Amino acid sequence: MLCFKRASWKPALAATVFAATLLTAAIAEAKTITVWCWDPNFNVAIMKEAGARYTKAHPDVTISVVDFSKSDVEQKLQAGLTSGVAESLPDIVLIEDYGAQKYLQSFPGAFMPLSGIVDYKGFAPYKVELMTLDGKVYGMPFDTGVTGLFYRKDYLEAAGYKPADMQHLTWDKYIEIGKAVEAKTGKKMIGFDFSDGALTRVMIQSAGKWYFTKDGKLDIENNPALRAALDVQQKIMQANIYKPATGWNDWVSKFTSGDVATIVTGVWITGTIKAQKDQAGKWGVTEIPTLNVPGAVAASNLGGSSWYVINSSKVKAEAADFLNTIYAKDVDFYQAILQDRGAVGSLLAARSGKAYDAPDAFFGGDKIWQSFSNWLSQVPSVNYGIFTNEVDAAVAVQLPKLAKGSVDDAIKAIAAQAKTQIQ
Amino acid sequence: MPLPRLLNRIGVYGFLGAMALLSVFPFIWMIVGTTNSTGDIILGHLGLGHAFLDNTQKFFTQANAPLIFWNSAKISLLGTALTLAVSSVAGYGFEIFRSPGRDWLYAGLLLTIMIPFAVLMIPLFMIMGRLGLINTHIAIILPTVASGFVIFYFRQATKAFPSELRDAARVDGLKEWQIFLYIYIPTMRSTYAAAFVIVFMATWNNYLWPLIVLQTNEMKTITLVISSLASAYYPDYGVVMVGALVATLPTLIVFFAMQRQFVQGMLGAIK
Repeated sequence: MLCFKRASWKPALAATVFAATLLTAAIAEAKTITVWCWDPNFNVAIMKEAGARYTKAHPDVTISVVDFSKSDVEQKLQAGLTSGVAESLPDIVLIEDYGAQKYLQSFPGAFMPLSGIVDYKGFAPYKVELMTLDGKVYGMPFDTGVTGLFYRKDYLEAAGYKPADMQHLTWDKYIEIGKAVEAKTGKKMIGFDFSDGALTRVMIQSAGKWYFTKDGKLDIENNPALRAALDVQQKIMQANIYKPATGWNDWVSKFTSGDVATIVTGVWITGTIKAQKDQAGKWGVTEIPTLNVPGAVAASNLGGSSWYVINSSKVKAEAADFLNTIYAKDVDFYQAILQDRGAVGSLLAARSGKAYDAPDAFFGGDKIWQSFSNWLSQVPSVNYGIFTNEVDAAVAVQLPKLAKGSVDDAIKAIAAQAKTQIQ
Repeated sequence: MPLPRLLNRIGVYGFLGAMALLSVFPFIWMIVGTTNSTGDIILGHLGLGHAFLDNTQKFFTQANAPLIFWNSAKISLLGTALTLAVSSVAGYGFEIFRSPGRDWLYAGLLLTIMIPFAVLMIPLFMIMGRLGLINTHIAIILPTVASGFVIFYFRQATKAFPSELRDAARVDGLKEWQIFLYIYIPTMRSTYAAAFVIVFMATWNNYLWPLIVLQTNEMKTITLVISSLASAYYPDYGVVMVGALVATLPTLIVFFAMQRQFVQGMLGAIK
């Protein structure tokens, strides 16, 4: 019995050692890149698609996507970076563009610069600008909120405007059309949520301005674009061509129910518009009206976010390569996410793909994605600074008062509130 | 009944009824929401719809429901049991045994209740990092085990525990731990029940700390999953409502199962 045991002992050990070697070899080879992001139907699904594509070519690397809500991602990121507990951080994290500079400036060295690895010339310039700090570019540009003016062809036709008349509008012309639309159809021109500074942001960025100057100083009182943006919104209120909305869902319901004739917002709304199947063929899209200030263009942006690699990550080289391979080079990937998720990326070359070139039946066969791609390359670069949300809140407080008050007072009040918030 | 009194009654019941409706409405809204499609929910549809099966099915495909439910249940039950065990001994000890620094120590303990968790979060997180407990369920349970509030609660309840009982037990030759185990716990059953309800609900609904500590989808609790579902640019509210309902059920069951003891425990175990 003892003899038997002794005899079987060595091969068993050998087998174990062999198996263990194989196992450690496998562990050393296989690498997991952990990604944090929000929205299971959008960012999470898109990142999983990107991961699947990368793993196909690199079987030793898997991408693990963990979904938290946006505020949760921010909270966890903040906790991880503040505490310095490296193992608590992911390898890649999604950050909203408006908040990018806040993270880059508050946590120097926390994010891996990707300049030198990624060819940023291929992306929309405004997207690259917002993730640049001291000459280094940090993130991988992801989805864009390039804006458009969506309009109901049937309502405008009834008011005497053809799609050709809707091109190259100024905001004054837009308001004039709005009055005609209401007179002829009884429909309001636009849904307006006073608690949301979105329209203000769209307008000022179209003029290459923001709440901050290029070097990050508060720019409210002498900002011609902000003054013009508030002016336009005051005119819209005084002409009474808007339908008031309370909150996001209500705002959306204004156009899904056919109550308003136009929407001025980011390209990501397209999916919601197209979800109203009974409105197929009734919608058109054109560039946004221009603001009456020097340098203003008919392109802007609303929202959007980008990927960042954490510098302390053990697999940061792989993470950077993953982002670069898929998001900076894979044109086919961009066709897939546009088709499946309605996501418009910031890689300009994506427009050469099939999905971007396809006419859209819902929009009467127009090649809307080519249009958006055109406007994308024209979005002016601005500095989102580190306090966009704070100033935005100050703007939202003043918006409802514009109907009766003066723009001057509003600007003074915004400046005052912004200053106390920021200091 | 004379007219003024009748009017008075109508006024009182009307007011109470309105307040009751106000506090029950979110719950009704949740139940109704599980049966409606997201579109109907946004439009404020108050009647029952036909989307319940659809919503439920989507919830169970989008979230690994059994796993996250198990995670939440495990943390809550284990956490509550440990908290009750440790904090009740402490509360008992503070009241029964005299020692020089007792009141200072107790005052210090009460002060900890007043510190908001947000202040403790980062240091606690660093401790967990050093202990290698990030992304474990133990890291969620441990910090709550010695709870200032529960210790306070048990000390207050212990004041009503008759010293005659303890003296009699001592005369009968019971050791101190035996008195606690065989006399105190059975006598204070309703106190324990009330504490169980409070601690269980707090642990089950705990959000911030699990959010910070847990890192992977497999470890998440149900509160985190609902937050993630609700965070989409276009949330599927019907699915979120199903999630909320699933998350509410256990606390409801615990509360209703222990309602009588809970009320008794809140009033004092011994009358």
